[in-house]
Parts: sequence; structure tokens; C-alpha cells
Amino acid sequence: MILELQDIRLSFNNTGQERLNLLNGVTMSIPKGRVTALIGGNGTGKTTLFNIISGFQNDYEGTVILDGRDISRQPAHKVSLMGIGRLFQGGQLLGDLTLMENMKIASEDKTGEWPFTSFFHSNKVKRQENDKEERAREIIRNVISEKYVDRMDRLGSEFSYGEQRLLSLARLLMGKDDKLLLLDEPTSGVNPRYISLIQQIIRKMTDEEGLSVLMIEHNMHFVSEVADYCAFLNEGIIAKYGKSGEVLSDPEVRSSYLGL
Amino acid sequence: MPVIKKELFNMEYTLHVIYLLCIYIMLVLSANLTTGMANLLTMCQAAFYGIGAYIGTLFLFQCNYLFVVIAIAVMLVTGVSSLIVSYASVKLKGDYFVLATMGFQLIVYTILYNWTEVTNGTYGIAGIPGINLFFGAVSLDGIYLNLAFVMLITIAVVLFLYRLKNSPYGRLLKAIRNDDITVEAFGRNTASVKIWAFALSSAIAGLAGALYASYVGYIDPTSFPLKESIFILCALFIGGIGNIEGPICGAAFVIVLPELLRFVGLPDSVAAEIRQIIYGVALVLIMIFRPQGIKGKIVMK
Amino acid sequence: MILQFIINGLITGILYSLLAIGFALVYNTTKIFHIAAAGLYVLASYIFWFANTIWHANLFVSAVLSVLITMLVSCIIELIVYRHLKSRGASLNVMMIASIGIMTVLVNVIALAFGHEAKFVNTEIQRTFSGDSVILTTPQIWQLFVGGIILSLGVLVLKFTNYGRRLRALSEDEELYSTLGYNVNNTRNIVFAVSGMYIAVASCLSAYDVGMEPNMGMNFLINAMVAMMIGGMGRVVPCIAGGLLLGVLQSLVVSQFAASWQNAVTFVILLILLFVRPQGIAGYKKRIV
Repeated sequence: MILELQDIRLSFNNTGQERLNLLNGVTMSIPKGRVTALIGGNGTGKTTLFNIISGFQNDYEGTVILDGRDISRQPAHKVSLMGIGRLFQGGQLLGDLTLMENMKIASEDKTGEWPFTSFFHSNKVKRQENDKEERAREIIRNVISEKYVDRMDRLGSEFSYGEQRLLSLARLLMGKDDKLLLLDEPTSGVNPRYISLIQQIIRKMTDEEGLSVLMIEHNMHFVSEVADYCAFLNEGIIAKYGKSGEVLSDPEVRSSYLGL
Repeated sequence: MPVIKKELFNMEYTLHVIYLLCIYIMLVLSANLTTGMANLLTMCQAAFYGIGAYIGTLFLFQCNYLFVVIAIAVMLVTGVSSLIVSYASVKLKGDYFVLATMGFQLIVYTILYNWTEVTNGTYGIAGIPGINLFFGAVSLDGIYLNLAFVMLITIAVVLFLYRLKNSPYGRLLKAIRNDDITVEAFGRNTASVKIWAFALSSAIAGLAGALYASYVGYIDPTSFPLKESIFILCALFIGGIGNIEGPICGAAFVIVLPELLRFVGLPDSVAAEIRQIIYGVALVLIMIFRPQGIKGKIVMK
Repeated sequence: MILQFIINGLITGILYSLLAIGFALVYNTTKIFHIAAAGLYVLASYIFWFANTIWHANLFVSAVLSVLITMLVSCIIELIVYRHLKSRGASLNVMMIASIGIMTVLVNVIALAFGHEAKFVNTEIQRTFSGDSVILTTPQIWQLFVGGIILSLGVLVLKFTNYGRRLRALSEDEELYSTLGYNVNNTRNIVFAVSGMYIAVASCLSAYDVGMEPNMGMNFLINAMVAMMIGGMGRVVPCIAGGLLLGVLQSLVVSQFAASWQNAVTFVILLILLFVRPQGIAGYKKRIV
């Protein structure tokens, strides 16, 4: 198990000053090296759960354990370095940076990112930069295509929405120490042409790189194609969990979420 | 606003203008570091300028032996004072943050104005000693030495910031400008990045303040109010943000323009207001028609 | 004794509330950080003074003239600057910077035309009204009644009329508002006009009391912004609570310390507020990620 959530509870006051229980005891284990889908209606707390796992939200009860290590309530930048990568809902490339710069920022190595390092350790910085560039090209070449390697000097904003989604996904592979990737609606708003590419990348991540993937998705066809396991978040708890085929054909899931 | 003497086409006066130009290049570049490169719009650059001036004055009176020590001390103190502002930049978003910087600027001004035991309030501090570079062996007397020294420092600052812009740290600032949450998810402590950006920005402004204090020989709080922060921002946005040429161009615009106006015979009594009106109009026109500024590369988000 | 300070504070607070509403109306509906309001504030006072001193109009007519012209200028600013920027897709920061430019121009045109020395409107000896232990000056009476009425009217209109509801709808979601068939631009015009009115009323009431000078705008505006924040950024009605509270706090501080430190106290309150409870008394937190 790469990730274990133990009795995660989160409640807050909404604008009408009522207490809402968003997460009511979420307990779940994510298997290593597999793709797990997290499904459920809008506003049921899936992204909030992602925020909790990745350290962007810290006012919850319960425990988050990553690969045997308790990472509960740690700040986001620390959790990231412990091995969690995240693709945000609607998140794109950094528009004013080139594709190459985007890839470099995604690397876990931070040489030169302090104001004075480039003056005192310029050789080390240069070496790391070259390493990152090579790694970036390799990733783009393997995971997407050679065509994009030639376009690595283009600004992030020059790519289309679908391309940026794809490239943002590839960008996650720059983190050498990553163990678990949280993907928030990777296919949302994306051209079908890119969806199959995204599918391939995700499978490569688990099958070739040995990463574990937890993804929020509303595209059920995509889920059935890509996900090994599936968790159904409903009313603040994991109402159903199992192999994706089973969960998607479960009558309760179908009636309450899919409306079938 | 800088104190400017009369007299046209006077060599000493021209050198004086160049001196001020160097100071303002430093100030505008320092503002560019946070406002331009990291998109953190600050209205308190003059507060750091003022803190540097007063701290510098303190040291120039007490231990004026080795300027490099004074410079480091000034930059350290000003850098530490910026922690309030960088903390605000981490905790607060957008307009709240701008309001906080205004608050900081006004608190600093009120302290400079009212804490008369230390700052002498509106009477100001006069007779500030000239800079001693090396235990009195080299002391800066007269316009030529002072100018040469300040030009050296300005060039050093320009080169430093140029290098910084093209380094991974510069890239990191640009990334935070675009999306600081994604950057945080890549394992970067965006809070500490912002803290360093403010520390550097305020240190440079503080250094400019210390140099100015020593050169003019007299300071008072009226050189460092909110109006001055706005003036620095005007220069920044007219010139342009994000690169090195923009801020330099902006500083040149606001320092040279008054001299051109004087040259065409504009009477001194209305000069200050006319200048400000031109800056204001220029700012509005540039925001509408060329928001990246005259020579800038990017636009405020 | 303390009652006098509290009453003074409440009355000053009315002025803060008025200016805060003037700022908040624009801020809520357009999200623009309308620093130009400081310039409008100065403009209103000088029109009031000019009409009264140069044209010898009586105070009431001068004030009305000031309000009308300020409303007009406010709309003009909207039309030639903000609307233009919006159509070019300018970011809010860019608009705020343009707003700073507008303020600079307004303040300096006035300084150019009328000089930097303080100007005063009434030269007659003021009457005072005494209650038990409280004394109120004539200007204060005006501030209390005129200010109070304008504030109450604003609250009533906003909360109970259709128009008020539409204004709140526009603040919430501009795109949705236009799909409902309303003309966004027309409503924006009205918002800016009303904003100008509130600014001018605050300005005239203050000018009658303490006079004016070209650089008073930013100071007063910052107090108003703090008042808005105390109440809860994004709401018009809490501006009143915030303004009154700020006025009273400042007055109590002045009763204990030197008046020149009064400003510092405002800003310390501001900073504490920003760090501890940025959403103000009546506000609520929004999701960031």
C-alpha cells in the first residue's frame, strides 16, 4: 500500500454559519504501482481530499500515511519532497516560462534556486541545469514525441489547452523521488485526440516507472479503461471500493452517482 | 521627491542629476524584484529607502571607518525590517497585501516623524558625514568621488540583478508569479522564496538610502512618505517591469524629464505639480496602450 | 468625559463610513482597487470651496454642486479609463496602477490651481450645542444628520429595493448578470455615480469642519479602507460598523496619546486585522486551492 488514509474528518462553517461535515471518516488504502480512480459527485470533497493528502489543507482530523510514513499535517512543499506529485484541476503549464523551464521547475533538485547560489556555485548550477535539460528531453521524447522536443523553447502559453494538459502530466515525471501522483481530472475539457495520449502516459507511469496513481475523474469511460481500482466517495466516506469493473457496475454507485 | 538645486548647464549640477539617477535606478530596480519579477505589488519601497537612510546615518555618525561594514549593516537591518512585509505576502492575497504594504509604509513614516528622540522628527538630521571607504585613507569628498562611487555600486547592483534574473532563482520568481500553488506542489517553499525576494529588494533600497543620506548630508521624514513609494512605482511601470532595461528606463524618465522641463523654461513654482501630472497621465496612458511599459517585458497580472 | 470622545469618534466614523462605501461600491462591483477615490475626495472639497468662496454660492448650493460634479467626474473616469482597460482585458493590478495615475493627476491639478496651503469654508463663528457632558459643534451636527441620513438611505436601498438586489447580483457574478438581460455598463455607470456621491458627501462634510489641502486624500482614503476591512471586505453595510468602530478607536487613542500617533494606531490595527482575521467582522473565508 502506497498511501493509507485513516479516518479523515473535515468540517467547516459555510456562509450561513452552519457546520458542514465534508469528510466524515474517510478510510482507504491505495495500492502501489496501480491506478486508482476516485469518483463521486461534485462538491463531495474529492479535491479537498487531495488537498489534505498533498499538504495544502491542514485543519483536518485523521492520519495520512505515505509508504509507511506519517505525513499528516505537513506543509505542502515538504509533502511534495516526500514523494507526492500533483496535477491540479484545470492546471496548466506556467505560461510565461518555456516548456523547458517548466520541466526544470518540476525537478525536485533545487540547485541555484537561492539568490546567491549562482554566484558562489556557478559550476554546480551549470551541471545541474544540463542534467535537468537532458532528463527533460528524454521524458518528452519517450512519453510524448520527438516533435515536442523541438518545441521546448516555446512559452507555456503558446500550447493549446489539451497539449498543456498532456505536458503538465509529463512534467510530473521530472520528480525523481515521486512515489504517488495525484491527478485531478486529467481529461476534463480535453480534446478526445489527447485523451488517448493521456491514457498512455498514465499507464506508462505505473507500468514502466513503477509510480502509483490516484486520480479524480468524471469520465467513466476513461476510468474503466485506465483504472485498476476505484473508490466511490459519497456522503463523506468511501462508500464503495474495489476493482474498477466491480465498482462501476455496482447498483448503488450506478443509481446514486451515475443516475442509472 | 529628490531635492534639486537651480542653475542650468552647470557641470556640477549635471553630475548631481546623474547621482540622483543612480540612486533611483537602484530604487526602481529593487522595486522590480518584488513587484515586477514576483508580481507582489508593494507600496512601501520608500519605507525601506527611509529606514536605510536613517540607519545609515546612525552608523555614519557612530563608526564611519569602513563603508563596506556600514553597507552590510544597513542592508541587514533593512532586510530584517522587510520580514513583516514578506510575512504579509505569504498570508495575504492580492488587495489585502497591497493594503498591508501601505500600512507598513505609513507606520514607518509615522515612526520617523514622531520618534523625535531618535530621528529628530521634522527637524531632520543634518551634518551627516561623508563616506569613508577605508579608515579615512580614502574618503569621498566632492562630487566626483561620490559620483564615481555611486556609479560603481549601481553597476554592481545592475549586474547582480541581471545575473539573478537569468538564474534558477529568477526562474523560480517568474514561476511563482504565474502560479505559486503549482510551484509549492513542486516542493518549493514559496514562503521562503518571497522572504528572500523582499530581503534583497529592501536591502538594495536601504543601501540607496544610506548613500543618499551621506551624499546630501541631511535627511528628514518628508523624503520618505507614501508619495515617494508611489513615485517609485510610477517610474517602475512607466519604464516597464520584468527585465533590467525597463526599470532603468523608468528611472531615467522620472529623473531626466524634470531637467528637460526646466530647460524649456518651466518656472520652478509650478514645476513639481506639472511633473507629477505628466507622470500620472503617462502612467494611465501606458496602462491603457502599453502596459508592459516603455521597455519592459511583462505585464502585471 | 469619555462620552465626549466616543461621540466625537462616532461622528468621525460616519465620515469614514461614507467614504468607505464610496470606495466599496466600486470595489465590490468591479473588483478595482479604486485609489482614484482619494483624488475625487480632494476634488469634491475644492469644488465646494470654490463655489462658496469664489462664486459666493451659499453652502448648500456649493455642496450640491460639488456632489454633482464629483459624480460626473467619477463616471468620466469609469468611461475613459476603467471601461477602456476592461475591454483590453487588463488585469486588476493594471487597473489599480491606472487608478493611482488618475489620483496623481487629480491631486496635482488641484494643487497647481489652488496651491498647497489649507483652505477653509466657513469663516463664521461656530455655534456649539451642549448636552449633559457632551458638546457638539455645528459641523458635527451636520455630519451626524446628513451623514446619518445618507448612510441609512444607502442601506435601505441596497437591502430592500430591487435596484439594491441587482447591484449585489452584479457584484457576485458579472457574466451571469448580463445573461439575465441587464446592461452591465449602465449599471456600472450608476455604481460610479453613486460612489462619487458618497465620496463628495463625506468630503464636503469634512471640509466644512476642518478645511482641506491637496494631500489629504490618501490619508483619509486609507482610513476608509481600514474601516471597510474591519467590517468585512466586500460588503457595503458592514462598512458602517467598521467606520464607526474605527472612529471611536481613534478618538479613544487621541484621548490618551498625542494626536500624531493616531495614524500609527490605525495602521497597527490594520496589520493586526490582516493577520488575525482578514475577512473582517462580517466576512467569510474563501477557498484558495
